[in-house]
Amino acid sequence: MNRMEDPARLDAEIASLKQRLEEAEDMRRAITNGEVDAFVVGQGENNSRVLLLAGAYQRYRQVVERMQQGAVTVSVSGDVLFANQRFSDMLGVPMSKLFAAPLEAYVAAPDRARLSSFLLVAARNSSIEVRFANDTGTPIVARVSLASFSDGYLTLLITDLGPLHRLAEACDQLSSVREALTALGRASGLDAATRKSAEAIGTDLTRLCGSLTSLLDENAAVAAAHTATESPSTVNR
Amino acid sequence: MSESSEKWELRLYTAGQTPKSVAALNNLKRVCEEHLAGHYTIEVIDLMKNPRLAKEDEIIAIPTLVRKIPAPLRRIIGDLSNTERALVGLQLRQRSE
Repeated sequence: MNRMEDPARLDAEIASLKQRLEEAEDMRRAITNGEVDAFVVGQGENNSRVLLLAGAYQRYRQVVERMQQGAVTVSVSGDVLFANQRFSDMLGVPMSKLFAAPLEAYVAAPDRARLSSFLLVAARNSSIEVRFANDTGTPIVARVSLASFSDGYLTLLITDLGPLHRLAEACDQLSSVREALTALGRASGLDAATRKSAEAIGTDLTRLCGSLTSLLDENAAVAAAHTATESPSTVNR
Repeated sequence: MSESSEKWELRLYTAGQTPKSVAALNNLKRVCEEHLAGHYTIEVIDLMKNPRLAKEDEIIAIPTLVRKIPAPLRRIIGDLSNTERALVGLQLRQRSE
């Protein structure tokens, strides 16, 4: 049928084109006015992606930059795509130097193979303990947890275990002091007041040691839970 | 103002919680409460979670609001911060020439 002979069809087509034109104009105006901050590219079933405009996650990035945990995004082969300020500070390496650098360059040599394996097979929330080396060569024991994996990149959270280790050391030292006090309390030749004071301090130390031990146990339980989720079969690479 | 007693079905396509996506949802709720109170449903589709869902309504820019019902289908692109334009887009108000 000739279009010109079908006014109704022509009207419908004009209406459809008019609507498309309005939508195109609407989109131009929305982009010009800065009312959108993301676009969908690739309309296929399996290749659609959302691209965010710069600034779309500015506030979120500020949180990541300021958080007290290291964060680093690496390729499966371990090249750094992104690192936050905390991770940079932890290593004592400028962020500009970290970009595109192999992460293993900052890992103690004996732990590099383990980290490489982890990057290849780690499941979400799984973790391993790794010794990093800062610019002065000082080892930094840290827990590396996989936060996410997408588009061939892994985002890792790096928790410095130094404070926990120092806490464990402090706990051991407190235990020694407590034992010394207990021995002192039992020693002969002390007056009653001194003995009582030694016992009181010993009791306080026992309580403090108990609290510290609980903290360490809780942390160990979290670490064990993370490690337990590690399974090569749970992530498709 | 064409306040309608018909149930409106609106679908808002967002990209996670970007500022424009959050603004669009807040603005949409405000407009709906003012003009369609009790007669609307809003379905939020996060394309960051499933970008393939963009295909159904031919979404290109985010945020985009789609009026599914009443027909005809209408798309309003942007964070809906311009209430006048949002109302015209939803055909709750006539376009001023």
